Amino acid sequence: MTSNLRVATLMILAILSISFIEAQTDLSQLTAVEIVDRVDRMLRGDSSRGTMQMTVKTRRWERQMTLEIWSEGTEKALVKVLRPKKEEGVTTLKVNSDMWNYLPKIDRTIRIPTSMMMASWMGSHFTNDDLVKESRLIHDYDIELSYQGKREELPVWEFTLTPHPDAPVVWGKIHYQVRKQDLMPTWVAYYGEDGERKRTLIFSDYREFGGRLVPARSRMIPEDEPEEFTEINYLELQFDVSIPRGTFSLASLRR
Amino acid sequence: MIVLRLGWRNLWRNSRRSLITISAVACGFAFLIVLIGLMVGVANQMLHNGTELLMGDVQLHHQDYLPERNLYDTLGRDSAGDLDEWRTRIGRLPELEQTSARVYAFGLLSTGNRSAGAQLMGVEPDSEVRLTAFLDGLEGNLTDPATSHPLILGKLLAQELEAVVGTEVAVVTQSADGSLGNDLFHVSGILHTGLRYLDRTLAVFTISDLQELLVLESGQIHEIAMSIQDPMGADRFAFNLNASSSLPPDGLAQSWGDLAPQLRDYIGLAQSMYGFMIVIIGLFVAVGVLNTMMMAVFERSREIGLLNALGMRPWPIVGSILLESVFLGLLGLGAGLGVGAWAMSYLTSQGLDLTRWMGELSMLGTRMDPVLKAVWGWDYVLWSAMGLLISTLLAAFFPAVRAARLDPVKALAAPVEG
Repeated sequence: MTSNLRVATLMILAILSISFIEAQTDLSQLTAVEIVDRVDRMLRGDSSRGTMQMTVKTRRWERQMTLEIWSEGTEKALVKVLRPKKEEGVTTLKVNSDMWNYLPKIDRTIRIPTSMMMASWMGSHFTNDDLVKESRLIHDYDIELSYQGKREELPVWEFTLTPHPDAPVVWGKIHYQVRKQDLMPTWVAYYGEDGERKRTLIFSDYREFGGRLVPARSRMIPEDEPEEFTEINYLELQFDVSIPRGTFSLASLRR
Repeated sequence: MIVLRLGWRNLWRNSRRSLITISAVACGFAFLIVLIGLMVGVANQMLHNGTELLMGDVQLHHQDYLPERNLYDTLGRDSAGDLDEWRTRIGRLPELEQTSARVYAFGLLSTGNRSAGAQLMGVEPDSEVRLTAFLDGLEGNLTDPATSHPLILGKLLAQELEAVVGTEVAVVTQSADGSLGNDLFHVSGILHTGLRYLDRTLAVFTISDLQELLVLESGQIHEIAMSIQDPMGADRFAFNLNASSSLPPDGLAQSWGDLAPQLRDYIGLAQSMYGFMIVIIGLFVAVGVLNTMMMAVFERSREIGLLNALGMRPWPIVGSILLESVFLGLLGLGAGLGVGAWAMSYLTSQGLDLTRWMGELSMLGTRMDPVLKAVWGWDYVLWSAMGLLISTLLAAFFPAVRAARLDPVKALAAPVEG
């Protein structure tokens, strides 16, 4: 290694670390995209494993499911139903933008076609698309800071996300509020192509799991049925865990 | 009596001219018979395909079911159990021919690595086959006891899933209790209706299989399709049914016209077209008759003047001329009926084969047979005949009045014609 190259490397490292420190200390200098991206990374980690309770309430019925989840980066996720008995073992695998469901009752794995992406996931108010597209906000949307200041005594940022012209997304617009104090998201509002609000995701119960602050509760409320909701509560959550090889494969679905 | 004889005799005084006019009336009438016959054929076929293929003449739903088709809006929603009783009561209505219950849902079908969304339809195989035609002529059926959990797929859906008879298909859907309904079925038939949207989306189950998958009670159904003796009376039948106590209190009966307004519009349009055509042809015939009768009166000015001078009252003169035109018209109608019947005997049995030009075609969402067969629309034939007769009469009225008003002196002074 020549000395010149060594100097250059050192300089790059120095610049990188300085900018990192700056970013850590002075959040106000971050761009809108960086904030949204960072919130996303904080909530996710490189990998995670946890259990959660999902409560779905509709006009006709209300049910609770216990789910076990694994994720790796933004590309891979596995969700397995632990309870109730009737659906125990039903497993959803997501790899990139593909999705499969394993159904133990009939011992079959079913690929979810593109046409079913907007269908409900496990009867909840989340769609299959939510699982697949989750965390691709900074790829598919233009992100703009639309408000900065206090909402109910709480300093927040509010972002307006508009999809890139050719982005394969279903929303016409997304509003996103993040509180400044700890970069926690507070709510996300989804708007249709017609500009009308379709549903709202509200975060609460901020708690530490695996050394990270996360909103332990998220509740999705559809605009057309305001009495209905799907609520997810983390029971436990670990970050940056080592996940066995082959977890995110079709073969592992049956296990 | 003399008037009648006068009219008849006068008709043949210039037989060539009369024959030409008669053949004009005949052509007009034959043309109307054939054209209306073809149009009635199209309308009937559309109605038959629209109703007989899948819809039935009248459908009964929970009043909230359409247009959302919500899984929960079943006919037995508010008071299950009584459904059988209602069906028995409805079944006693004299006009009713057949009823069949159905359940619908959306679901995901999968064979190995291929999946597709589909409209799931649960039917009562025996009564469905008697009511509608969409299950006719498919290989295999829903009632084969050898297949448990049978399933019939639309042709294009089967292609998408790469399924053939015997293929195992996993079906996943949202059940009524919120759980993920899933089960395995075996393809027992491939459905080919010729209507793209059905062939691409329809998956047919036995009603009990689908109810089980959806966690619905056996009394919970979405639809009762009915056929009645006279499909054109469907509006009245539905109205009476809604007014009667035979219906579940939350049920709503709708005729094919309510369910497929475009079909009703087309048939209404076709009917007004018949009237329009009768008027147009009537006008042509009237012009011909007017011309003939004007000539006749003009030729006979001296004769009429003489009759006048001899003291014949104007009424018999008018009568004889009107009668002459009636004879013209009747002979024309008779000849036209002959020609029309001859053409119709071919068109009703063989039909016009449009296959070469159109292939398989659908119109307003109903499948059209490329062989277009005419149908005798007796009402319209009668209307056409009346219309043409009235126009010949009206056309003759003016010359007749003119004849009656002839001044005998002037008429007698007129030069004698050939």
